[in-house]
Amino acid sequence: MPDTKSHGRRILQQKAAFAAIRGLSILTIAILALIIGFIAWKGLRFDRETRSTVLPFAEASPKGLAIVVNRESALEVVEAPVLLGIYTDEYINWSKISGEDTDLLPVAVDPATPEGAAARDLVFGAGAAEAIAWGGLVEFVPSPEAALEKVRTTPGSIAVLPHEALRDLAGIATVSLRRLSVVASADAMALVENRQVEDMDDVEVARLVSGGVPSWAALGGPELAVAPIAPPAGSPLEAAAKAAGQKPAGNPAIDMAGYLAALAGAKGGVGLAFAEDLVAFARSGEEAVALANGEAPSLAPLTRRGHERGWNLSLRYLVEEPRLSGRVGGISTIILNTFAMLILTLLIAAPLGVAAAVYLIEYAKQGPLVRILRLGTETLAGIPSIIFGLFGMLFFVDILHFGFGLLSGCLTLTLMILPTIVRTSEEALKSVPRALREGSLALGATKLQTIAKVVLPAAAPGILTGLILGIGRAVGETAALLFTMGSDYKLATGLFSSARALSTHVYLLFAEGISFDRAFSTATVLILIVLLFNVAAKRLVGRMGRNAAA
Amino acid sequence: MDPRPPKFDVRHLDLWYGQTQALKDVSFSIDPNTITALIGPSGCGKSTFLRVLDRMNDLIEGVRVEGSVLYDGEDIFGDRDVIELRKRVGMVFQKPNPFPMSIWDNIAYGPRVHGVKDKKALSDLVERSLVQAALFDEVKDRLHKPALGLSGGQQQRLCIARVLAVEPDVLLMDEPTSALDPISTAKIETLLDELKRRYTIVIVTHNMQQAGRVSDRTGFFLHGELVEYAPTRDIFFNPRDERTENYISGRFG
Repeated sequence: MPDTKSHGRRILQQKAAFAAIRGLSILTIAILALIIGFIAWKGLRFDRETRSTVLPFAEASPKGLAIVVNRESALEVVEAPVLLGIYTDEYINWSKISGEDTDLLPVAVDPATPEGAAARDLVFGAGAAEAIAWGGLVEFVPSPEAALEKVRTTPGSIAVLPHEALRDLAGIATVSLRRLSVVASADAMALVENRQVEDMDDVEVARLVSGGVPSWAALGGPELAVAPIAPPAGSPLEAAAKAAGQKPAGNPAIDMAGYLAALAGAKGGVGLAFAEDLVAFARSGEEAVALANGEAPSLAPLTRRGHERGWNLSLRYLVEEPRLSGRVGGISTIILNTFAMLILTLLIAAPLGVAAAVYLIEYAKQGPLVRILRLGTETLAGIPSIIFGLFGMLFFVDILHFGFGLLSGCLTLTLMILPTIVRTSEEALKSVPRALREGSLALGATKLQTIAKVVLPAAAPGILTGLILGIGRAVGETAALLFTMGSDYKLATGLFSSARALSTHVYLLFAEGISFDRAFSTATVLILIVLLFNVAAKRLVGRMGRNAAA
Repeated sequence: MDPRPPKFDVRHLDLWYGQTQALKDVSFSIDPNTITALIGPSGCGKSTFLRVLDRMNDLIEGVRVEGSVLYDGEDIFGDRDVIELRKRVGMVFQKPNPFPMSIWDNIAYGPRVHGVKDKKALSDLVERSLVQAALFDEVKDRLHKPALGLSGGQQQRLCIARVLAVEPDVLLMDEPTSALDPISTAKIETLLDELKRRYTIVIVTHNMQQAGRVSDRTGFFLHGELVEYAPTRDIFFNPRDERTENYISGRFG
């Protein structure tokens, strides 16, 4: 009679073991999915925190003026403080503004003309012309037409023109302006007991200007009641303030200067203002005197904290050349360099590795020498790549004088992936049935014919798997390449030209703090390439297997 | 008796695997255009002997051979080119071993390694060999499909056709039907009778009915010795040696 009790226990044990194994495998898959998903998400989308003193209300044509740039520019929106910076030599290059590696050319219509004066007022604010400090880069032209022509013909140029001057839009693009700021009086912004008003998000900004916040303390500032000041009624500011959420309760009696003075004078005052008016206010009488005496400004814009989201990995990123250390542009040349590296490495490593495996399996006498050789290959397979990199740098770069370049890098990679290729090829050759070899030899084929025509084709799927594994390791290699292949991101033109691979690019973007977003998009491309290789290999091996078996 | 000289003349053949003697003083001759069956229990040396005839034992390390085997009067261990010998003396193995390529390429493989390049000549050879192996009608529509897609019996006939394509003189068969079903076995046995007219056939078999059905002469091996070699009828109905009688009547083996 069977022992039912122990039988039941065995079944229970089996069930528990099965559940544990299933749980572990699900966990593993989940971890893998998480990693790949995270990298892909970070690579595909960017989400940057931005800080700015202007609100995200873009005006296409403020005060009847249009901001125009050369058609090649990627600029779509500009913030008023940046526009001011452009005309005061704070920027000399577009890279910090629009990410383009182009010299900046601010064009201004002569401020003596009415058009020029209007443009100047948009940038610097109305007021005494003599107090305005134009930047040295600014090129003055006599008329809006001349400015338009200049912008049309000069990449990197920008100008502020009356709307009517834009009859022909060929060769130019218009840019919207963000100029609405939230401003507070000096007492609200003061540092009291290590507390100061913090940067605000959009919700806090809306609540503040609509009177929803009773005390500055709620925003991290001093114990002071918030006193919203309404903009002058009927002014363009009132319309803008409505859009920002402020209730219309304007005082029609005062002008802009009076409004700002009232705001500065109010206890805990808060309100909205255009950036250029703030500039003008800062230049004006009392404020200038106070600043000259070393006092805090009586009006200060609050900083808004926002998020900028968008697509990180675009077709543009894939087809454009990298510029400014990869800060700008794409990764086209780096992708091409990577493929050149892989092909060259494969061309060197595949014949060597397969030949070595054929020798070890088919020809070598299986003795102590072969055992030592095997141990050596296995040891090489486990050596960290940085050591291959050091060896490659000393041997290929230095002793053989190959220099930092494709050839040195590929030779180093070859050394690194050779053990993998040899080992997998050996296994593949070993798995070819003896009967096939005998069948061929019995027909009178020589050993060489047998190996070339029967054994190698039969072992091809396995050998191919080894090659793909090797390539997979090579494409992800960084340490061995940094010291041997160099890091020039231009297209490699020869065996000796320095070339940057995708993995090196990812590393350098991280290590030099150039851009995490770009590092992640490059990483995503790298993962996609590895995926592509694996899928291609699977299909190829599958097809070969079908040919052999069905 | 056949007035022609024997195809194989084996004289005092000894064979060692390292220290183990696998064949002991084997002497007999095989006549042309006959089917010779070699029977005996497992490990008796019959397969080893068969592999001596086309020197497949060369592939195994530590094999030592003494004595001589004359093939058409010439010692196969002499100066004779082993490639040439294997071309003349073809071998079919126990398990079908088609190459992982198309049916056509399998058959053309032998002629190709011997230097036939002309596509037309190859095609003729492929067709003729398949017809001879009684396989052509079954595979003529899928000559370029993988050979591994055939059934076991078809694969074995493909292997026979592959050997025939190099136009050999002798066919060695090492238990060619042991991995096949009875219908496939019957087909191959019928085929052997056909092939006898053109080839000398030596077949190792575990199946004594098969030996009785197909062979002209039978040799009984035991512990590396050729115990008895006689016309098949005599071996089965009138064995001279007691050990042969015991084996035939199923007392061991």
